[in-house]
Amino acid sequence: MQVRLENIHKSFGQVQVVKGLDLEVRDGEFLVLLGASGSGKTTALRMIAGLEKVSSGRIRIGERDVTNLLPKYRDIAMVFQSYALYPHMTVFANIGYPLTVRGESKMAIEAAVKDVARQVQLDALLERYPRQLSGGQRQRVALARAMIRRPAAFLMDEPLSNLDAKLRGYMRTELKHMQHKLGITTLYVTHDQVEAMTLAHRVALLDRGVLQQLDTPTNIYNAPANLFVAGFIGSPPMNFLDGALDNGWFSSQVCKFETKRRSANRDVVAGVRPEDCKVTEPGAGKIVGDVYATELMGDHTLVTCRIEGGTIVVKADKAFNRHDGDSIGVDFPEAATHLFDKRSGDRLA
Amino acid sequence: MTAQQKSRGFIRRLFEAESLEEMAIAPKVGVYAALAFWTLIVLFPLYWVLVTSFKIEVQVDSGPFYLPFVDFSPTLDAWNFMLLENNTLGPYLNSVVVALSSTLLALLFGSLAAYALVRIRFQVKLAAVLTFIVLLIAVIAAVALGAPWQAATAIAIALFLLALGTFVRRFEAAVGNNDIEFWMISNRIMPPIVAVLPIYVMFQHLRLLDTQFALISTYTGVNLPIVVWLTRDFFAGIPLDLEESAEIDGASKFRVFFTIALPLVRSGLAATFMLVLILTWNEFLLALFLTNANAQTMPVLVAAQNTTRGPQWWYMSVLIVIMIAPVIIIAGFLQKHIARGLLIGAVKG
Repeated sequence: MQVRLENIHKSFGQVQVVKGLDLEVRDGEFLVLLGASGSGKTTALRMIAGLEKVSSGRIRIGERDVTNLLPKYRDIAMVFQSYALYPHMTVFANIGYPLTVRGESKMAIEAAVKDVARQVQLDALLERYPRQLSGGQRQRVALARAMIRRPAAFLMDEPLSNLDAKLRGYMRTELKHMQHKLGITTLYVTHDQVEAMTLAHRVALLDRGVLQQLDTPTNIYNAPANLFVAGFIGSPPMNFLDGALDNGWFSSQVCKFETKRRSANRDVVAGVRPEDCKVTEPGAGKIVGDVYATELMGDHTLVTCRIEGGTIVVKADKAFNRHDGDSIGVDFPEAATHLFDKRSGDRLA
Repeated sequence: MTAQQKSRGFIRRLFEAESLEEMAIAPKVGVYAALAFWTLIVLFPLYWVLVTSFKIEVQVDSGPFYLPFVDFSPTLDAWNFMLLENNTLGPYLNSVVVALSSTLLALLFGSLAAYALVRIRFQVKLAAVLTFIVLLIAVIAAVALGAPWQAATAIAIALFLLALGTFVRRFEAAVGNNDIEFWMISNRIMPPIVAVLPIYVMFQHLRLLDTQFALISTYTGVNLPIVVWLTRDFFAGIPLDLEESAEIDGASKFRVFFTIALPLVRSGLAATFMLVLILTWNEFLLALFLTNANAQTMPVLVAAQNTTRGPQWWYMSVLIVIMIAPVIIIAGFLQKHIARGLLIGAVKG
């Protein structure tokens, strides 16, 4: 079902955590709330769950206004970062808890638990206790418990962050598949941009309680709405050059190139992603600098190049073999650059 | 063994263990000597009571005799008298009923209160509390001066409600959870002897002196602070995620308390149960004042063996043995439950 946040504010005492958040999650959509710690993403999720009161604004799930409803009447299911499995109950009782609480018959509960356990491959572990399970298995119990009721929406608070890297990758795939199969609206909170990019239909990027951009992963990556988004998404992050725009030309201390923008602006930041840059002979590229550090990542090498007034990172071939201090050139196509107004931070469209 | 180990001096070998698996000789001797000494201190009085219960007056007065069959010939005289001729069963049953029911009641109410203090934020206006106290004093004064208590109470309640709706609202100062908790625990700071007479008079007016009800209700009240104090930390130790998850799964606050919180602190509850049970089982002062024949408990009966003919040690010993026995048995049963480790696996992988 559709979930809508309308102008949500939340303060804890004097501290404003969420400032006027408007968000609409479409029916069946996988929406990721992405942000650093302190961005208000978890608070936003907890307000949807009913674990925190809103300071102002309205929350709707489907057609219902749930702003002041108790969590249990919101028809949602939540997966916690800690999984929050009930340690004194078996896997069976854990998964069946939402139905037990609703007073469903023993037979109905058993059938439902078995069915959902099969979907997450837990059928052989139903008699175990949470402490007897591995991290990945616990994670699946938490998922099964959320799935058993077919709620109006899933809320997930960093569900994968307690798993080791390999298992995380596997569970990411599983999660995406499961969400697609069930078609249940999902709000997923994470600070991990890889999770956001791979899982989401749309990503909502938050910074200090304010929504920065809400768009598909592709658009967020290719057309970041402002400097914050541009700097947050992408690893290694985008390179920024301070300069001015005049008569279609961007010029800074270190380089000058032509853009499609005709307007004049004295405070402009040009951004270019490391993978859009390439190393050339000094003089052949747009920028000249010298090698500051090289890091071999396996399939590529990250070259940090010192230029006047800063550094610039280039994603180079794995065969890159200059020494530190060598003079190199850096080139990039004009079309790959992003221009931002320095004062407002907004993208110059 | 290496050469270095062989060459260790005698003193060194005495104090330094050869491996991680065993202790060195000197500390081992020291530890066991200390343990043996303390065991003697703890067990000897129990032994002494036990052998005394098999003695007769002469054997006690002309003693001390330590070893049955060697020093003196044991008899069952005291046991026969106490179990068959004297009314011991009545006080014993009283003790069982009073101790068990008051402990269970204190545990139920106390844990509910402790849970509320941990999970709910209270803000009672200080002005409301003060108004209440002032009105209470006024009612007492009015009744003492001859006003009918029904009228005085009714007027006071009306005034209190009026105050709540009017000037009380304007005051900021409020009593928080810590104040409430301190107030509860501070009830135990007052010496019981101070409260005994008022309690006696109260039950006298209620015509409930010498009833199990009087003892049960008094003990429950007296032990509530201890239960609150002890269990609040257990509840505070439960990860909030578990309870929030249960709420989202559809459980009410009471259901969360009884199906999640309470089972998770059961080892702590077992320890608290044991402590409070021992306190009530052995309580003397209140029992002495509030009972005489019908509701008399074991401690009073034991004290009663100190007669005009001097203390009847052999009878006392019989009573003490049968008083101690059940407590030791219960403690043995609960030992398993007092073991920790229940929460392991609840949170994190």
